[in-house]
Amino acid sequence: MAEEKKAEEKQMPEIPKGEPSIKTDVIDPISLMQYDACTRCGECDNWCPTLDAMERDMNISPRDKISRWRSFMGKNYGLLAKLFGPKEIPEEDIQNFNDHLFHCTTCGVCGTVCPAGLNTIEMWEATRQQLVLRGNGPYGKQSLFPKLIGEMHNPYMKEQKDRLLWVPDDVEIADNADIAYFTGCTAGFNMQVLAVSTARVLNKLEVPFTMLGEDEWCCGSALIRTGQPHIGDTPRQAAIHNVEALEAKGVKKVLFACAGCFRAATIDWPHLMGREPNFEVVHLADFLAEQIEHGKIKWENSLENKTITYHDPCHLGRHVGVFEGPRKVIKSMPGAKFVELERNRDLQRCCGAGGGVKAGIPDLALGVASGRIKDAMDVKADILSSACPFCRRNLGDGRNSVLGLETGDFNVRDSEENDMQVEDLIVLTAELMGLSTKTKSQTEE
Amino acid sequence: MSEPFSYYSGIPTFEMMLGIALVAVLIFLIGMILNMKKWGGGSVKAFLSAFIKSATKEGHQSILTSVVLDILLQRRIIRRSPFRWVMHMLIFVGWGGMLVLSLIFALFEILHKIGIGSFDLNVVRSGFDTPNEVLGYLLLIGIIIAIIRRVALSEVSKRTQVFDWVLVLGILFITVTGFMAEGYRPDAVSAWTFLGADEALAQTLALFHVAISLLFCIAYIPFSKYMHMIAAPLTIIANGGGE
Repeated sequence: MAEEKKAEEKQMPEIPKGEPSIKTDVIDPISLMQYDACTRCGECDNWCPTLDAMERDMNISPRDKISRWRSFMGKNYGLLAKLFGPKEIPEEDIQNFNDHLFHCTTCGVCGTVCPAGLNTIEMWEATRQQLVLRGNGPYGKQSLFPKLIGEMHNPYMKEQKDRLLWVPDDVEIADNADIAYFTGCTAGFNMQVLAVSTARVLNKLEVPFTMLGEDEWCCGSALIRTGQPHIGDTPRQAAIHNVEALEAKGVKKVLFACAGCFRAATIDWPHLMGREPNFEVVHLADFLAEQIEHGKIKWENSLENKTITYHDPCHLGRHVGVFEGPRKVIKSMPGAKFVELERNRDLQRCCGAGGGVKAGIPDLALGVASGRIKDAMDVKADILSSACPFCRRNLGDGRNSVLGLETGDFNVRDSEENDMQVEDLIVLTAELMGLSTKTKSQTEE
Repeated sequence: MSEPFSYYSGIPTFEMMLGIALVAVLIFLIGMILNMKKWGGGSVKAFLSAFIKSATKEGHQSILTSVVLDILLQRRIIRRSPFRWVMHMLIFVGWGGMLVLSLIFALFEILHKIGIGSFDLNVVRSGFDTPNEVLGYLLLIGIIIAIIRRVALSEVSKRTQVFDWVLVLGILFITVTGFMAEGYRPDAVSAWTFLGADEALAQTLALFHVAISLLFCIAYIPFSKYMHMIAAPLTIIANGGGE
């Protein structure tokens, strides 16, 4: 593979004789212990979405990766290493391990089903970081993240001043309010239908909200997931910047429509900053569910008995535990015939975009997405909904691939002509509330 | 009852049993220190401090709940596979139960040796015979299921390494030698009496069984797949347990 060839050509560190081939200084003690806690039962392999997409290539099985890293640790830090010195690990073995480790979406299902309860997400991310520091990782285009996010504060090479270009004239944004909407880079730049739908729904609900606008920085999730949080200290700087900016606005609650940003704000930011922010972090799906409970959402349109299913984004569901809010919203939609996917909630199958896989190994991301699309086809879904821009994009690509459709424009609403619509919860909500989901440029046209 | 059977199920001398046990525990402790240093980036203290911090994190279920539901009852396994839960529980209960009984009996022997308490050691040991026999069979059944699973299920068989086989075959060997040592005893109540009473062989096998049990099931833990018996419960506690 070209990427592997490229990786082999990387400058590897010279390991002095008698020194360990691998270091463990950025892997926390609990993660290191977890490598020894694996019972090798293989339950993780039964659920891993990338294994399914890679025709069960066991090099990328979670169990196999744990075995290999444990073996590296034994050779460098075990009893024999203490007695006779660390055994050199062939460079090729470490590079192969690195490449296989980056073939992981960090969806975390392996940890969910693990009888020993391993927190595999933290294990993979910390080990990735160790390998990045060593010069083996990251993988493919993931190496562009630090420069883009560090310098431009978004991964899409856009200007900060363009953060609010998506805002249409009909949307009202308050300078100050109790609630803030953290748009996220994807919705703000490349998937504007999500941003306009969110803003119009909040306006219709008469919920005043403010935004950081040009002051909003990328949440840093992509850097953390790909083992690059140390480069330029970017995610920590981003966490501090965003939290302090939101606190300065005096907001009490921050809404996130992006599962990746939501995960970062809920778990990563407090971890990086060493404190909790002085505001509540809420995903839009839960916020909408609360509005439904209070009878504030008035539906004006119907799904007309369409079969709709819901894909739990990993970052929203398994990572943070938001499962019921999105379901409550869908089930309350008029004319919705809701069906669960066979694998749902904490056992769902990842869409394939996470962990830097969409950027680093797009073919693998597409393969995993195709698997999820087939899951949705099995339940005869007319609409596959989710609550994450990355899931929307990758499942959309998967749908197009499986059904042989042209690549669509993900900036706008998915075509209702498609046999299976792949659409975000907020877009469907806006439509059923009788709101326009047209982006600013569509309106201007 | 002849004197050689006074101590530890037939081991010729108390000192011999104590000696082997101490060596086993010493090797175990050295191994554990090495592991904790490995996990703590060269410092046992760093590991312990990280572990305590993680185990006591806000929002975690209580450690007692984790110990009972997740470690002793292993609900995470039953959620995934009732079959594997039965297999693992048989091994866990059999192994753990016999370890506890051995420790209790060793305590009686120590008290007897130093002259504390007035009890007949043979009577105490006889009281342990049936529980040991039952636990031994639980372990044996569990291990046989594990071996059959590894041989018969192609998906499991393909992924089995020497690392896995050493554990199951080692326990099988120890379990069988335990039954044999019991079966050769002149006063045995075991089903294995079909082997015929042979006091000398019983003593030799008892010594062999205890020695390899201590070395394989205690000393070897930190250096083998056995390590999961310690690292997995610690992981569950550190991560807050739960389903």
